[in-house]
Amino acid sequence: MIRLRSLVSGKLEGVSVRPIIGAASARMIQPDAAAGSPPALDTAIPRDPSLFEEAAFDRSNAERIGYSNYSYWGSTLRAFFKRPVAVLLLCVLVVLIAFTFIQPYLPGQYPATLIINHPLIKRQLSNVPPTLSTVLTTAPTGTPLTMHPYNDPEWAAVTNLTRVIQRRVKFTVVEYAGDWVRAAIDDDEGWIANDFANKLKLPDDPTAVPYESQSNFPVNMFLSPHDYTSAGVELFARRTDLDIDGGGERAVTIRETPLHILPYQNGFWFGTNLIGQDLWSLVWSGTRTSLFIGFMVALVEAGIGILIGIIWGYVRRLDRIMTEVYNVIDNIPTTIVLILISYIMRPSVKTLIFAMCLTSWVGMARFVRNQIVIIRDRDYNLASRCLGTKLPRVIMRNLLPYLVSVIMLRMALAIPSAIGSEVFITYIGLGLPVSVPSLGNLINEGRKLLSTSQSYQLVFPTIVLSVITISFYMIGNTFADSADPKNHR
Amino acid sequence: MARYIFKRLLAAIVTLLIIVSAVFILVRQMPIEGYFDNFDKLDANIVRSRLVQMGLTDPIFTQLRRFLSNLLRGDLGTSARYSVGVPIGRILLNKIPVSLQFGLTSMALSLLLGVPLGVAMARSQTRYKARLWDAVGTVFIVFINAVPAAVYHIYLQAYGSRALHTSMLFSREQPLTWLLPILSMSLGSTAYYAMWLRRYMVDELNKDYVALAQAKGVVNRRVLARHVFRNAFVPMIQYLPTSLLYTVSGSIYVESLYSIPGMGGLLVDVIRRQDNPMVQILVIIYSCIGVVGLLLGDLLMVAIDPRISFAKRAGAR
Repeated sequence: MIRLRSLVSGKLEGVSVRPIIGAASARMIQPDAAAGSPPALDTAIPRDPSLFEEAAFDRSNAERIGYSNYSYWGSTLRAFFKRPVAVLLLCVLVVLIAFTFIQPYLPGQYPATLIINHPLIKRQLSNVPPTLSTVLTTAPTGTPLTMHPYNDPEWAAVTNLTRVIQRRVKFTVVEYAGDWVRAAIDDDEGWIANDFANKLKLPDDPTAVPYESQSNFPVNMFLSPHDYTSAGVELFARRTDLDIDGGGERAVTIRETPLHILPYQNGFWFGTNLIGQDLWSLVWSGTRTSLFIGFMVALVEAGIGILIGIIWGYVRRLDRIMTEVYNVIDNIPTTIVLILISYIMRPSVKTLIFAMCLTSWVGMARFVRNQIVIIRDRDYNLASRCLGTKLPRVIMRNLLPYLVSVIMLRMALAIPSAIGSEVFITYIGLGLPVSVPSLGNLINEGRKLLSTSQSYQLVFPTIVLSVITISFYMIGNTFADSADPKNHR
Repeated sequence: MARYIFKRLLAAIVTLLIIVSAVFILVRQMPIEGYFDNFDKLDANIVRSRLVQMGLTDPIFTQLRRFLSNLLRGDLGTSARYSVGVPIGRILLNKIPVSLQFGLTSMALSLLLGVPLGVAMARSQTRYKARLWDAVGTVFIVFINAVPAAVYHIYLQAYGSRALHTSMLFSREQPLTWLLPILSMSLGSTAYYAMWLRRYMVDELNKDYVALAQAKGVVNRRVLARHVFRNAFVPMIQYLPTSLLYTVSGSIYVESLYSIPGMGGLLVDVIRRQDNPMVQILVIIYSCIGVVGLLLGDLLMVAIDPRISFAKRAGAR
């Protein structure tokens, strides 16, 4: 029998063994085939003649010991990064969390709880639909505008609305131009929309000007055949875009001028809510609150759970008592505790964290206890104990490293469930006050508007919430998979 | 066996006693204002006499003893604030059947959907190309588990009622309005059944007896149905009694969204109105469900799987 080098070198995986089997089987089928002329069957098999040489005996090779450069964390990370979806979600999550902290410091952000009023009419800007910028429309060069008294070095309040003609007041149409007519009343001349809302009274041949006209409704007269207002309210233009006359009452645009609904550059990207708060800032501020609750609950759960789990698992005399205590706590429905605690205590972030931690550590403790019981009496631990290792060291060095990955999994899953509990508590009306924005709060407020045109107030918080919870869930599960040594290749 | 059940029941009673006492003491920490609708306008004497009338001024252990002895005589007490003076038993008798109907239907639906989904997911593991079901099921399970229930219930209600052209709220006369709440309630447990069944079945599929059966030439379908499924379903059996019993408690979300007059919102409602007798009774009911469900689940497992017995318990090292 020929000793094959491939066997000696220890490569027993399919690829390198195959030539041997192939060669052997080929020989069995055609035992008389000459070595010089390979049979047709053999052509498909890559042959390396060196594989068939006799291996030399080497004493130093016989003395060599096996060595594997296996590292647990390295393999875990490698297995994790082989899963593209999880890696993608991890990136999304990191960017998202980073952004929630950066967002308040970005230029042009509205403070989250600021109620934004219109600077002229002093009313809240409620339910403004999502816009990327505050620009409502753009006026071409040379558009005449009137100015509204507004003291601001940068912005001017402008409109091209000159007067409102009351109902059934007669005016003269001097020019007919389809959708618009030029009209004169007293000394003023301006443009009136000839549309369905105004219902101007027109003669049989409206092109035969001038003629008397009127409407059964109040009609607006504009300086130019375009409505440069936001539902009759002044718009804002930069003073540098305008040629303002001496009295400061009239102005003409000197270039293409964007007209803003507000004297701010940034729009409401997610719109505003009923009381005129910027939903974009609210969502990120709420995300901060919810993430804070999630992380705190996960940390406290891990801290208390690990501590008690280790004591429970390691001290045999305590096991029976602790198991009974566990049975009692585990049998109280979590919902009841959550509701009771958040009702008895004042609603605040601390209350929520406390109420959630009160029961959630039990699961972690039981989990740690089970793991500890399994590995407590493994031989290496017995040996360690016999050698006189102190208990804290046994726990820190021998037991805990085994649990790190599973503990991290549970923490990753605790965050979305804490966020979900927060939404639940807010839903039943015992959550945070509206003055503390949180995702649960925003969803609960938006819920009432789902079937209206303001449904964006529910959609944006739910998207952010779902991205966060799904990411944590997927990352946690993938990490648990990759932390399992069975999946390390 | 009988001894084991007796011991379990004894432990359950002790557990219940502790839970009830804890909740009893807890609800008595609530502010006095909560017991009155118009506390600010009331005279201090009236407040005092009403508190005495409700028995709230006695020492807490006297109250507890009174409550427990009444309970033993089968007297659940009367509601103090929810609907004043009405026996709690009668309130519950009106509410429980509604929740029970919805709960049982949705549980049947979720078993009907979840079990085939779990089997399909596990089956697609045995093939090398068609992993479609596994992917579909995983997306569904991740979605249901990760997104808070409130969110998808809201969307299902809004878009479902629009698609079915029905009212958003439940109405007893229109059977079409029952569909969405039942579907909503069953989504969570469908994902749960599918997830665990898939996991248990995949675990079983990797065992040697499956390889042996396949080597003997047993058809794949038969291996799954006769061997894998039966073994994988045993651990799931344990949770069935609990979920069956929990249908009594209703779903807080769904019942309040569709305004179904069931048990769902009752607990939240009575806690906010500080109706202590009702809070206590409800807590007892919920805890009983948990304890009894667990016991029944264990017994059912013994009944179904002859390999499991309580007679000799494997001792931990």
